[in-house]
Amino acid sequence: MVSNAPTPPRKSLFTKYFVALFAAVVVPLLVAGASEAWFGYRDQRARLSDLLDSEARLAAVKIEYFLEGISDHLSWMVQLPWSAGADERRRLDALRLLRQAQPIMSLRLIDAAGRERLFVSRIGLNRVESGDDYSGDPAVIGAIAQRTWLGPVVFQGGSEPFMTIAVAGTRAAAGVAIAEVNLKFIWEVISAIRVGQTGAAFVLDQPGRLVAHPDISLVLRADETSALPLQLLRAAIVAEPGEAVAGSDTEGNMVMATMASIPMVEWSVIVKQPVAEAFGPIYAALWRTGILLIAGAILAALLAYWLTQRVVGHIRLLEDGVARIGSGQFDHRIQLSTGDELEQLAERLNEMAGELAVSNERSERISRLKRFLAPQVAELVDRSGDDRVLDGRRVEVVVVFCDLRGFTAFSARSEPETIIRALSVYYDALDRVITAHGATLVSFLGDGVMVLVNAPVACPDPALRAVAMARDMQAGVQELLAEWRAAGHDLGFGVGLAMGPATVGRIGSEGRLDYTAIGNVVNLASRLCASAKDGQILVDRMAAQAVGRAVDLVELEARVLKGFDQRVPIFVVGTPPPTTM
Amino acid sequence: MSVVSGDGQLLYRLCHHRANAWMRRRDFIASMAVAAAWAAPAGAQQSAIPVIGYLGPETPERSASRLVAFAEGLAETGYVEGRNVSILSRWADGKYLELPALAAELAASRVTVMVAPGGAEVALAAKTAAGGLPIVFELGGDPVALGLVNSLSRPGGTMTGVTSLSVEVSRKRLEFMSELSPAAKLFAIAANPTSPTVGSQLKSLDAAASALGLRLHVLNASKSDEFEGIFTSARAMGAGGLVFTSDPYFAYRSARLAELAARHGVPAITQARDFPLAGGLMSYGGDFRQSHRHTGIYAGRILKGEKPADLPVQRVTKVEFFINLKAAQALGLTVPPSLLSSADVVIE
Repeated sequence: MVSNAPTPPRKSLFTKYFVALFAAVVVPLLVAGASEAWFGYRDQRARLSDLLDSEARLAAVKIEYFLEGISDHLSWMVQLPWSAGADERRRLDALRLLRQAQPIMSLRLIDAAGRERLFVSRIGLNRVESGDDYSGDPAVIGAIAQRTWLGPVVFQGGSEPFMTIAVAGTRAAAGVAIAEVNLKFIWEVISAIRVGQTGAAFVLDQPGRLVAHPDISLVLRADETSALPLQLLRAAIVAEPGEAVAGSDTEGNMVMATMASIPMVEWSVIVKQPVAEAFGPIYAALWRTGILLIAGAILAALLAYWLTQRVVGHIRLLEDGVARIGSGQFDHRIQLSTGDELEQLAERLNEMAGELAVSNERSERISRLKRFLAPQVAELVDRSGDDRVLDGRRVEVVVVFCDLRGFTAFSARSEPETIIRALSVYYDALDRVITAHGATLVSFLGDGVMVLVNAPVACPDPALRAVAMARDMQAGVQELLAEWRAAGHDLGFGVGLAMGPATVGRIGSEGRLDYTAIGNVVNLASRLCASAKDGQILVDRMAAQAVGRAVDLVELEARVLKGFDQRVPIFVVGTPPPTTM
Repeated sequence: MSVVSGDGQLLYRLCHHRANAWMRRRDFIASMAVAAAWAAPAGAQQSAIPVIGYLGPETPERSASRLVAFAEGLAETGYVEGRNVSILSRWADGKYLELPALAAELAASRVTVMVAPGGAEVALAAKTAAGGLPIVFELGGDPVALGLVNSLSRPGGTMTGVTSLSVEVSRKRLEFMSELSPAAKLFAIAANPTSPTVGSQLKSLDAAASALGLRLHVLNASKSDEFEGIFTSARAMGAGGLVFTSDPYFAYRSARLAELAARHGVPAITQARDFPLAGGLMSYGGDFRQSHRHTGIYAGRILKGEKPADLPVQRVTKVEFFINLKAAQALGLTVPPSLLSSADVVIE
């Protein structure tokens, strides 16, 4: 990683993406779950209403059928008019009726005059032609008025529910049949009603007494107060017809209930189911939805975490890559194969790193050039962005050599630190001068220096420039020599320069490139330098001619120089006019 | 037809023309197996499960069919003997005087509820011995008049149970017998003087006799060795028939009575269907199978924690009339259509 790591972001991408992805899954799930629960509840309530309602209607029809069945039996007994004497066939019919219709506990037949003609009972003694007057009996009056009369529910002995049913014949002469009916038999209809596991039905009469209940002992108890919650339940249902109503039953359980009435007796059949059971499917569905929701949320969280982690991981990889490239590792490549825009971005960054590497290589090369070119020359190469000026060619150059006299003896005598320090000061002085004259420092060799003028960058009057530079060199170094002589070191400094065509260019391997010149002129300049005395600047003829009269040159006696067949004419630069340097 | 409610309520018989196919589903209790289980002494009881103290006036053999009905009722409330309830029985073997001592024995055995079926004697014996123990009785007659409960709808005390109409319908037996022999004016009445309900039954019979214009002669029998004397006396006085009052002692000995009636050629009517089934002439009385099943249901409900005071006394309203035509033929009697059309079961 990079050293200058950026400050962590104020809001992490991870959090943002995680929250967004998570919400994208969980919110629709929640909405779906909630709507399912709500609509499920409504549907279930409607279904429950229908179910309870149909059960109540069915029970009402069955009870009505039970009562009508007894009325039908009775109407058989009042089809024929009474004759004067005892009617044996009618007695037999009455006995058969009693055998047939178990709920009828006793049957009384009254003639047109309101006299009891026959009484048959399961408990009491049968009576024939007793003649007792029943014309004032409400059952007789009611039956004559309405043909079928249904009496109120009476609790015999304070417990058993009974009712009287009286039916009058189509003709007054047929009289009236009065039956005492044990309503415990309705219990059969009521207890047969099962809604779900524990749903049940019960019957209330018009004043609100229990006529039938699955727990028969509640009916037998004939208890007004225990029927009170059931009456309240009925009142609640009446207040909201056509819908299942919530209320509590005798045990205090919350129940849903509907009602159907039996108009002929003004009874109410109420069918109830405990709320917990009625809405059991909804609760189950809610549980299911809840579990799905949690599972979905966990899945969403995992998915969101994975996706976010992936994206953030890639971004971190990119960030790291950019940081590496930024820190100069141009060979670093970001490895991303996501196939998406991030991969594109990584490729772009990799391309960028490649281009940076190329550009960096060039700038490095240029900075290497600066080692032997004068800064302004290097700048020139740099600006042109093209270092072809350094390619090999043959040009007219001025080669300048200079070195110290007596340096070997000095270095043998002195400490290494002293030598290095002396050389450093010496080169600084030379470098200043070379730079000032725009010349090219080609090489150092111990205390010797080779300088080119007019290559690689051409300049006007190269010979004159070289002579001026050599004089400046002498001036600068002589100052140093004065100091050193004062320190007891007997050193001198000589310069030789020659002008002529030479092959210039870069030579060397890829790792170590140098710019240099090859040719006779180089040898000549070197020999002239070697031949020069301390403080002397020796110039060859070509350079001397090129300088002409601009500089005061004194021709010396031609000398024999190593590597040259003939004597070489030599000029020495005259004592320069006093300079400001 | 009857119907079972979901939580195992008892049954009511409605119009018989409706299908009674449902009855078959009760056959899951093999009656003989249950009777055998009851006959075995209820020995190893586990304290963890509730115990029913069963006070039997007779023997397990004589009570077999009643025990089956009781077990059915118990099963309807979810109790099965040996699985989640155990039954500790004491049998008086017809010696009703021993009942209070047996009841005390049961009460001392720390039973959860005492069941006292088979008549007022058993209920009264249980009442004297039980202390605060809940009691379920099964009897014919009026438990209010017997001082067992305050009222039918609100028993109030520690007792509740089932009554049948057997005692109330004694007079109907006289009526049926008179109908069978319309010419006869004298009828013999068999009564058990030790029965708590004998007084009220004889009073009701006297009233019926005067209404029907008949004379009655009461013959007492409280032990089985006195049975023969009843039949010889009835025959000797030339009675039109012998009418048995409702009494469990008689009811449990129906087979013996049927045999004596046939041997002495006396037309007789008792309360129990076992009598005509064993060859006797007629019976009219409550359906003991229903009353014993209801007893089982009430015992189960009390085991579940309900208070006898809150459980109304149930009346089994069904009364059944049996005629055995073979017996009538043997006695040289012609059964009139009025009786045949009233009979629930005619044995041919």
